[in-house]
Amino acid sequence: MSEAVYRETGAQPRIHALPLAHLSLELGHLYMEDFEAGPERLRAHFAEVRIWAEAARAAAARRIGERRPRISTCFLIDDYFTRFSTPAEIVPLVLAEADRAGLVIDYLARESGCASADRLELAESVSHRLVESPPPGSHGARPPVSRTGWLANGQRTPTAARSAMAELAEWQPPQETAARNHSVFVDVELWSDRDGGRLWSCPFLAAVWQLARLGLLRHLGEPVLTPAPWTGRDFPHDWDRLPPLLRLRDSAAPFSAYRTCTLLPNSFLAVEDAVRVVLDQVDVDAGALAQVADRSAREGVPVPEQIAQRATYVFYEDPADPPQGN
Amino acid sequence: MLIFAASDKGGTGRSVTGANLAYRRALAGDHVCYLDFDFGSPTAAAVFDVLDARAAAEDRGLHAYLAGEAGEPARIDVWARTEHPVLRDLPPGTGRLELFPGDLSGGEFAATGENLHRCVDLLLRLDGEYDLILVDLSAGRSYAVDMVLAATARPEMRAVVSRWLVFHRWTRQHVTAAAHLAFGPRGIVAGGVARGHDEDALRAGVRFVRSGVPDLESPLWSQVTPTQSAWMRRTDEDLRQLASVLGAGHRTVLGTVPLDPVLQWREQLITDEDVVVSQIANRETWEALGELAHRLTDDKCWEQA
Amino acid sequence: MTAPEPPARPVLVCGEVRTGLLPSLHALDVRAATQLLRLRSDDHVLVSERPVPRVLSPEILTGVDCPLPAAGGARNRAVGTVAARAALTSGRVLQTTAYVSLPATGPDARRPWGQYLVRPGLAEPFGRLPVRAVAEGVLRGARRGELDLGIIAENLSARLVRHPLLDHRTPFKSRRTRMRWVARRVPEGDKAALERFTLAEDGLRTVELRLPDGVAAAAAAGMCEDLALHDWLLTTLAHMLDDSRLAAADGPAAVLALRPAVDHLLHLWMPRAHVDRSLTAVWDALEEAPGFTRQWQTQVQRIRDQLALQAIPLLHRALSPS
Repeated sequence: MSEAVYRETGAQPRIHALPLAHLSLELGHLYMEDFEAGPERLRAHFAEVRIWAEAARAAAARRIGERRPRISTCFLIDDYFTRFSTPAEIVPLVLAEADRAGLVIDYLARESGCASADRLELAESVSHRLVESPPPGSHGARPPVSRTGWLANGQRTPTAARSAMAELAEWQPPQETAARNHSVFVDVELWSDRDGGRLWSCPFLAAVWQLARLGLLRHLGEPVLTPAPWTGRDFPHDWDRLPPLLRLRDSAAPFSAYRTCTLLPNSFLAVEDAVRVVLDQVDVDAGALAQVADRSAREGVPVPEQIAQRATYVFYEDPADPPQGN
Repeated sequence: MLIFAASDKGGTGRSVTGANLAYRRALAGDHVCYLDFDFGSPTAAAVFDVLDARAAAEDRGLHAYLAGEAGEPARIDVWARTEHPVLRDLPPGTGRLELFPGDLSGGEFAATGENLHRCVDLLLRLDGEYDLILVDLSAGRSYAVDMVLAATARPEMRAVVSRWLVFHRWTRQHVTAAAHLAFGPRGIVAGGVARGHDEDALRAGVRFVRSGVPDLESPLWSQVTPTQSAWMRRTDEDLRQLASVLGAGHRTVLGTVPLDPVLQWREQLITDEDVVVSQIANRETWEALGELAHRLTDDKCWEQA
Repeated sequence: MTAPEPPARPVLVCGEVRTGLLPSLHALDVRAATQLLRLRSDDHVLVSERPVPRVLSPEILTGVDCPLPAAGGARNRAVGTVAARAALTSGRVLQTTAYVSLPATGPDARRPWGQYLVRPGLAEPFGRLPVRAVAEGVLRGARRGELDLGIIAENLSARLVRHPLLDHRTPFKSRRTRMRWVARRVPEGDKAALERFTLAEDGLRTVELRLPDGVAAAAAAGMCEDLALHDWLLTTLAHMLDDSRLAAADGPAAVLALRPAVDHLLHLWMPRAHVDRSLTAVWDALEEAPGFTRQWQTQVQRIRDQLALQAIPLLHRALSPS
């Protein structure tokens, strides 16, 4: 059959490719509490992280065999839930403490960049892509997650009897869909709506962050949250003037990677478990998914099919709280 | 257009009159559907004489649909499925008449969350298909009333006209109860305002239908003694005054359905055959129903009372 | 951990299309239509401007884990995702489709959910798929608790209809139609064909297709949307003509009853316009018998004749000397 003569560009989707590293290694999140605890907290953090970072590099090298792995490092600062200090004050401090521990930070990101970046509502876009894992018996009629704002890894305890006439049912346990013998039921709040608009939850933004690092976010086929180069001038005094994702070194490996490894203190365990619940139920851009799968297979390091499996973690002991002042 | 049929008490002839109104509008050429929201005791299938079809749709009624158990509520084409011989022989130009039955089992349920969304979805969809949607609501301040008040308050329903008929019998208790259901502190208007309705707009869309009203000029009463006749006239006048005081006076009355044994006892559609051929029903009833059906959409009858 | 078995080749594609008038006084322009159908803010809404504007939403998924409808009571559980999408033709006719591909066999246990998500629009049976029974079951319709493509299409339609862009002032009352379809996969190189098209009561239509391997399931969905659109046009026009018969005695009323057809429908007849090239031949069967386009032209002619007849007295009055 001959090719069609008439074409309309609006009728054909396009997708753009991204450069990809082997591993995106996250060297930490910085929250206000950490900042308030003083530079000693950061110092202790990086001293610990350095050990695990080397282990993560070694694991990546083993996976790809002879060659030198392309690894990029990143660091995330919270400017979404609480605004504190200024980039001009914090960023040099973070870089200095990392340097003191012998760590190099390639990319610096703001957490609010996971909510919206470059006038794109990334978190909202990802929320449109949630496809709930159906508990047995789901035949198509469940209320969409978009109406509830909660996402679980199974079936919730049924709510009160729907009919006035129906007898009151006894309590029934929730059920994890993929349970082995017993359930570990997790129900994640993705957002809360308040007067000022929608506040995305920490696990949901962290899931967006993982998708960005895995090279799986697109907007109409175009890459999003692309790194802006740092021009070497001073950092601004206002968070909003700092690009959401900054490339600090020109020679850094690409920001997005086939796999991610995240180094965090223990207290993030529940959050990151929730991130996996989310990642397991996101239907990512099919074009982006295919690109990553093709490229990684061609390089001889195929990625796991399930997105959540591409993210690994190291949890270490929380740094000791500094002595309470007066 | 949505017509909600409500009543405070049972025995007001709400369902049977509502069904007759739907029937008459369809005869006049409108596409009409009748929704049986009388969740406690659905009766419409009997009124339309479609009991067999009703049984076939056992677990797919409105109740199952609103509760999320059925994807789509069953609908019964009355003309095609009725056992009533007269109804199957239609004049040309008749509109569609379809019944959305309630469930044989299943009582009241909450008017919130997903149930409410499904109710809105259904009403919006039917509004695109039918000229007139008649919704028969359970008696009293029921969940069904709450649900449709909440549904019609939703912004996506703003372009859909809805009107309320409050049915009551012509007795002191019934008049009082009906006025309370409409305008009382826990009534339709108050409940609607609590759910976001504009009070004046909602109030302007409420009318009363008096049922089982004896026509004192009718030959039926011509044999009573003068004392009885005087008493009847006095009582009738007292009731009128009571209704007026309670806000259910003649300016808020859409129509009156005479006392007719056929309507009362048979609880079925009154056809012209019943009036003309077998002559068991009164012509006055037939005419009153026709007039009431006409007024449902006659805007003159719905101007501010 | 070993790599999971990839799913077997699909042998059946099933779907349901809902077709109806968009509840809006005016047709939506392409921009508004794009906004309405942006089911995912980061994904493409596809726009074809010619020969009739048609806007197609991105596909969204619904997870399912339930028995498949099957004739003869064969119980067969399947797990996976159903794809759903919406199309708006000429800013006027809204269609929502849910469809799913079914492979011949599947694993005996449920996989991790992430593995289903990377194969959108596929549901795997537990064990062997009773192909014939499921095809019949889908066309008959889901019983309670069985995979219900109709609900999924309906939910998408309801979601769009709630959109604030729509004013719910429909220019005329019309019925929606449902079309259930099954496409049996045949080897690549075989001809695609329409095996059966059935008009049932209550706005239900059923379609059986043969679909060669290599032709995307989405192309079959598009084909069925095109069939459903044109069937809806025929059905709606026929109802309008019926409704106007009574009014025919009364000139202005007849004009009022038929005018929406002229305003909103007559220009929409464009069979095959947006059908994948590998499937355009499927239409030929319907053009031979019953002759969809022939019937359409007859109806259009009747409407034009009606309107012309009504115009005569007006013309007469206009020309009379008084």
